[in-house]
Amino acid sequence: MSNAFREKSLSYLIVGPFAIVLAFPFYVMVITAFKNGTEFYDASATPYWFKQGPTLDNARFLFDNTPYTDWLENTALIGVAVVGITLLLALPAGYALARLSGRVGQSLGVGIFLTYLVPPTLLFLPLFWVISRLHLQDRLLALILVYPSFTVPFSTWLMMGFFKTIPQELEDAARVDGASRLKTLVRVIFPISLPGILTVIIFSFSLVLNEFVYAFTFISSTAHRTLSTGVYTDLIRGDLPEWGAIMVAALIPSIPLALLYNTFLDRFIAGFTGGAFR
Amino acid sequence: MASSDDPGRREGRYDRRELIRRAGAGAAAVGVAGSGLGQAFYGPLRFKGRDLSGDLTIIQWAHFVPAYDQWFDNTWIKQWGQKNDVQVKVDHILNTLLPTRAAAEVAAGQGHDLFFQLSPPAQFEDQVIDHKEIVQEVTRKVGKIGLVGKKATYNPKTKKWFAFSDNYVPDPVVWRRDIWNGVGESPATWEHVRRAAPKLKAAGHPLGIGQSAELDSNMALMSFLMCFGAYVQNEKNQVVLKSKRAVEAVKFMADIYKRGETDEIFGWDPSGNNNFIYSGKGSLILNAISATRTPEDRKLPFADDLWIWPIPKGPVQRKGFEHVMGCYQIWKFAKNKAAAKKFLADLEINYSQAFTASKFYNFPSFPGAMPFSKIRRATAADKHKPLGKYGILTTIAQKYTVNPGYPGNANAAFDEMFNKFLIPKMFAQVSKGQMSAQDAVNAANHDIQAIYKKWRKLGKI
Repeated sequence: MSNAFREKSLSYLIVGPFAIVLAFPFYVMVITAFKNGTEFYDASATPYWFKQGPTLDNARFLFDNTPYTDWLENTALIGVAVVGITLLLALPAGYALARLSGRVGQSLGVGIFLTYLVPPTLLFLPLFWVISRLHLQDRLLALILVYPSFTVPFSTWLMMGFFKTIPQELEDAARVDGASRLKTLVRVIFPISLPGILTVIIFSFSLVLNEFVYAFTFISSTAHRTLSTGVYTDLIRGDLPEWGAIMVAALIPSIPLALLYNTFLDRFIAGFTGGAFR
Repeated sequence: MASSDDPGRREGRYDRRELIRRAGAGAAAVGVAGSGLGQAFYGPLRFKGRDLSGDLTIIQWAHFVPAYDQWFDNTWIKQWGQKNDVQVKVDHILNTLLPTRAAAEVAAGQGHDLFFQLSPPAQFEDQVIDHKEIVQEVTRKVGKIGLVGKKATYNPKTKKWFAFSDNYVPDPVVWRRDIWNGVGESPATWEHVRRAAPKLKAAGHPLGIGQSAELDSNMALMSFLMCFGAYVQNEKNQVVLKSKRAVEAVKFMADIYKRGETDEIFGWDPSGNNNFIYSGKGSLILNAISATRTPEDRKLPFADDLWIWPIPKGPVQRKGFEHVMGCYQIWKFAKNKAAAKKFLADLEINYSQAFTASKFYNFPSFPGAMPFSKIRRATAADKHKPLGKYGILTTIAQKYTVNPGYPGNANAAFDEMFNKFLIPKMFAQVSKGQMSAQDAVNAANHDIQAIYKKWRKLGKI
């Protein structure tokens, strides 16, 4: 047996079980999404495979009896807006902090990151007051304004670390060649920082998708809900969770997100570890 | 002789045209002034549709019987809105999220006009209007409020109605007759339950009485305490939990857990015990009839074998809290108080519709809105098997159901104690073997005393 084969086998032996454990919830989600409704209350049916064969009834229920498409649209709209605001604020802020030498820059960077650590469960009450005063209750704009409060600090901190890995000499060379600071940023720094920027996009969008407390507090009508609150509040009717529909509702947004993560996996890792070795 | 046309003679007298003109101007002046004074102009609210306008926003739970929400959203609020020229909007949220939402609305000083709660929300007494006016209006139409509703929403200390209760829900024991028959038992008394517990568990069908930080566990365990003659507070709203009877009850329940339950009872939410019975695994739960209605609607194979009985009798008595105490509150900052008041009054006066829509789940807090005789007839006509099984609900409601806080009244301290789930915690600590029954009761009593002391200082009890 060759050494290469042995090494490869060992890798699979370690990674294989790990991958199975991590993929298992996803597998159960897929199976449950296409299960017949009566199977959920049939003690003789296994949760891990079909007893009566797959069905699209759950998807039909989701699209015909709930405003699921509204929730998808709302989430997408908020996600895109929040990612845009985050990039607009976090990129220049991260760059400025990275280039600010001395203690001031470092302290500011840490300070900005610390704001990210304040949990929404503490902030939602005062923020609800602010949103009420602005008359933004039950409007998507409320979430578009509030979500950057946690995406911007983290993204700024992340980009700061990333920008620090870019040698100052590259910028100096561009400046010597006559490029302005802005042109240097756009033409030199940002293209190199693409893994970091992608990380910010994916990370911010994921946070928006998962956020619950603000979405629940600021939005009260069914049609304005996002996926995270819509599924939780409208697909659990009284004491009865619509398991099949819940799983379809979770499966649909997770597919593009999973594809996105996998497509940009290398860059994503580079983005997160960009500032780690400096 | 001066004619009537003589201007001198007309001074101080008005012809018909002048009289109408002046009367019109006077009425207009009073009207303009009155509009500025709001309700003061037309005196006490008379619940006339013409006084109402604008929007009415309501927030309430996603009902455990979904048919109720269908009726409420698609029939009741639409008809009421058209009749009263008010645009009604209702938001439904999951029952567990109601307290968070209420806290947020109070903190912001802005929110829905009507806020529905599942247990007496006495902690918000200072943030809500006095609901006396609505109680009086409904009393005029259908008669007095029942004792359960009154003791759950009226604070005798401050003489304020801090909420308006439209309904309460009787809390029977729901059990699988086929499984219990299989072991030759029935849940007539708690001793029977304890005796059957190991047999049921061995048969693969454990009991499902929750000991978790959630509503159903709270209700079940406090009712259980009462069956043993133990109470959290007495008639004067003084804490009396520390007693031999409470210790005995806690020991008894720990024994039931060890003999006939599984660890999952410590991690349930309010739907946990429902799903436990729906899965076909559970053999007994303490729950309202949503636990039988869902299996009927879903045509689960054991639906006909789900029986409902009054809570098992304890060594002292057979007594239980309601399962849900439906309470609406109108915040002081509500924008459309007039419409909110009329909405509640009309809902209660016409409660027979709500009772039917809830499939006998919601019982009116004002018994006159649908007398027990009518309820008995309605439940007897239910076609689900075993025929007439819902007839027992009236007996449960009339004989065995009391308000939260019984024998005292629901108050802010009891509310806080309730929402901190100190009673389920007390039971769970003993069942898990973390504390002795005596220590657990002492610890709970100590914590509850502190809560009562705080609210007594604030003048609310």
